[in-house]
Amino acid sequence: MSSAIFAVLGLFSDTHKIVDAANQIRPRKLGRLEAYTPYPVHGLDRAIGLQPSRLGRLVMLMGVIGAGLALLFEGWVSAVDYPLVTGGKALFSWQAFVPVVFEVTVLFATFTAGLAMLFAFNKLPFFGHPVLHSKAIKDITRDKLALSIESTSASFDAEAARQALLDSGAESVEIVPVPSWDRPLSLVGFLRTIAAIVAACVVAGAGLYAAEKLIPVVPPLIHMHDQPKLNAFRESAFSADGRGMRPAVTGAVARGHLPPAFSTPEEAGILLSNPLPLTQAIAERGRRVFNDHCAICHGTVGNGVPLLSRVYGGKPGNFLSKEIGARPDGHYFGVLMLGKNAMPSYAADLDTDDRWAAVHYIRILQRAQNAKDEDLR
Amino acid sequence: MKSAIASLPEALGPMELLQGPVTPGSLDDQVLQFPAQRPPLAWFVALTVTLTALAIGVFCMGWTLYYGIGVWGNNRPVAWGFGIINFVFWVGIGHAGTLISAILFLLRARWRNAIARFAEAMTIFAVICAAIFPVFHTGRPWFAYWLFPYPNERSIWVNFRSPLIWDVFAVSTYFSVSLLFWYLGLVPDFASLRDRTPEGWRKRIYSVLCLGWRGAASHWVHYDKAYLLLAGLATGLVISVHSVVSFDFAVSLVPGWHMTIFPPYFVAGAIFAGFAMVVIVLTVVRKTMNLSNLITDNHLDVMNKLILAMSCIMGYAYCMEGGTAWYSANPYIQHTFKNYISGFYGWAGITTITCNIIIPQVFWFRRMRRSIPAMIFVALAVTLGMWMERFVIIVISLHQDYLPSSWHKYIPTKIDFGILLGSFGLFFTLVLLFARVLPVIATSEMKASLSERQP
Repeated sequence: MSSAIFAVLGLFSDTHKIVDAANQIRPRKLGRLEAYTPYPVHGLDRAIGLQPSRLGRLVMLMGVIGAGLALLFEGWVSAVDYPLVTGGKALFSWQAFVPVVFEVTVLFATFTAGLAMLFAFNKLPFFGHPVLHSKAIKDITRDKLALSIESTSASFDAEAARQALLDSGAESVEIVPVPSWDRPLSLVGFLRTIAAIVAACVVAGAGLYAAEKLIPVVPPLIHMHDQPKLNAFRESAFSADGRGMRPAVTGAVARGHLPPAFSTPEEAGILLSNPLPLTQAIAERGRRVFNDHCAICHGTVGNGVPLLSRVYGGKPGNFLSKEIGARPDGHYFGVLMLGKNAMPSYAADLDTDDRWAAVHYIRILQRAQNAKDEDLR
Repeated sequence: MKSAIASLPEALGPMELLQGPVTPGSLDDQVLQFPAQRPPLAWFVALTVTLTALAIGVFCMGWTLYYGIGVWGNNRPVAWGFGIINFVFWVGIGHAGTLISAILFLLRARWRNAIARFAEAMTIFAVICAAIFPVFHTGRPWFAYWLFPYPNERSIWVNFRSPLIWDVFAVSTYFSVSLLFWYLGLVPDFASLRDRTPEGWRKRIYSVLCLGWRGAASHWVHYDKAYLLLAGLATGLVISVHSVVSFDFAVSLVPGWHMTIFPPYFVAGAIFAGFAMVVIVLTVVRKTMNLSNLITDNHLDVMNKLILAMSCIMGYAYCMEGGTAWYSANPYIQHTFKNYISGFYGWAGITTITCNIIIPQVFWFRRMRRSIPAMIFVALAVTLGMWMERFVIIVISLHQDYLPSSWHKYIPTKIDFGILLGSFGLFFTLVLLFARVLPVIATSEMKASLSERQP
């Protein structure tokens, strides 16, 4: 540790003196010149041979990238992925995108300037730099200016550097050794860090668990949630039966839901005939009902092949077969109301007109699937 | 050159920005001592007051969350109410900080060095206060992140043609950039704090916060460049932020809002209100923290001159608004402008004009610009006046627009006032904590200007 020398620091109080000293020492090529100061000193950067910062180019580049990305993103969102016309404007209305483009440009440029300066150009954070362990650092961040001749090779002559700094007017000189590196990487320190992280995780987890158990969750915005009205499916003290909704009066019949006057589909086939005329609108309605409710088991064309899955074990009726095709309209209507075999009743889902429209549509399917030659002419 | 300066009248000569001898070392001893010291009793008393105000605000926000936004006074047609008034007010307060730290930096106004750090901190605190209001005004604050465009399971995106989305981008960018700017300025000061603090937990915190800053000349080259670039970019940003806030109004068709003068008028008003707040805080800070030798009467004098200048710009803007209403020959706009100074809310317009235009005129007199009670009075008046201005713009314009059948008066509730009080409590709590925990004056900048003074 004592052998390796990082640099020789000479302390100054006056900005002019340190600039003069740097100008004197630089041509002698004693080592790399650097300065450590509590504030930026004008002219010192040139005196120790530093180039102007190239940060500006990077910031410019990132600003342009930010602007381009923002414009592309806004355009893609507004015109491609979610085209939404507002105020009759064009989908790619770039004029309206300008404010966000500007903000994103500034965001990219400023964060590039700040973070690239710290992390890329200045290579911070760096806590192990030898100067941070020197005695002079207390003065450097306070009011003293330090000119540093830093070792770049084994042939570094610390004594010559010391003399050069004293000759050019340094108030005091300090030789800064390279700090030993074993201390910060010790096993104990590493284990302690791991233990601290584990402890923090345990505390956080236990705290969250306790919070979830102990603190009641209060539903927010109860004015919206609990409005002064009766909810249909909630309990209510208002009525004698304690229900929020009023049940229908006994014997009431809903429109389109007359109770059946038959007890089997066969009976219905004898008693009823289709009251709806076959028009384009009725056929359309029938198709909608058939596709929504029937097609999943009987197939879109009514051939009894389920859409659902071949794994389904039941055998839905094939409307195209001779046997089912020969049944009267009322029979179909009766099956819809009462159900058959595995098929449940559709009385609650479909009203009378829906059912008769579906029957019309089944007749259309039967004719279309078994079309005769003269139908095609 | 020297004789030419000497022959100028005193008011035009170079300004004395320090009282008594100040060296870089004494500056550190004076400014950086506070974090290590136990605060005085007065500080704890002040903190108790601000925390009480904050607690009231938090209670009122909890009330709002529990019952829903119906406990506020907002309703048709004044849907914006206190939520947006306070948002615009607080964002505006922040603008003075960025003006001082960025625009005056580019203009090389040396007097800014002593007050820049405090003003930047106030920017950040003011934007925090501002952000509360639109977030709660959304009704369900836990979904406020919906305002950002992110890929979501609903497969929908925000509308980039809406000024409200521009606002989200402007204010969030403004906050992030202000925080970055502030932190970069703090890095060298954290290094100074690190090296003057004895071993212990404080020193460790400062060591991490300063990222191992060692003041290398090769670092200062990039640092200076970054600071200059940030100042330039922040200048554009600060003008854009309140312009975008004004677009929330100007892009709509509401009479009294749909005007091209709004962006410059809002930016000037923001800086005006912000400077008033800076004056209020600085007069108290420099008295209680004995910083009068660094923040001198001359500093306050310049600030007050800026307040006067901004007041004149505001006066011009008010006249232009009235002139536009008259020249438009549009009965709806004219009706709104009559409402500004007469009718149910007429007192608000009169207060605005008195506080913003008439009272600051006392700053034409040098004696008033240097009298602490006078400047505190004016600054308080301006703060009230600028809040009232936003009340006038939002409430009066909205409560009577095109359809007389939908006219309705807006009466704020106790909860509205409680949240406003809470935002002041939050702001001053943060200011108090900042004053005792972080370096209140940018010492590295001050040291640089001290060294320039000594040939």
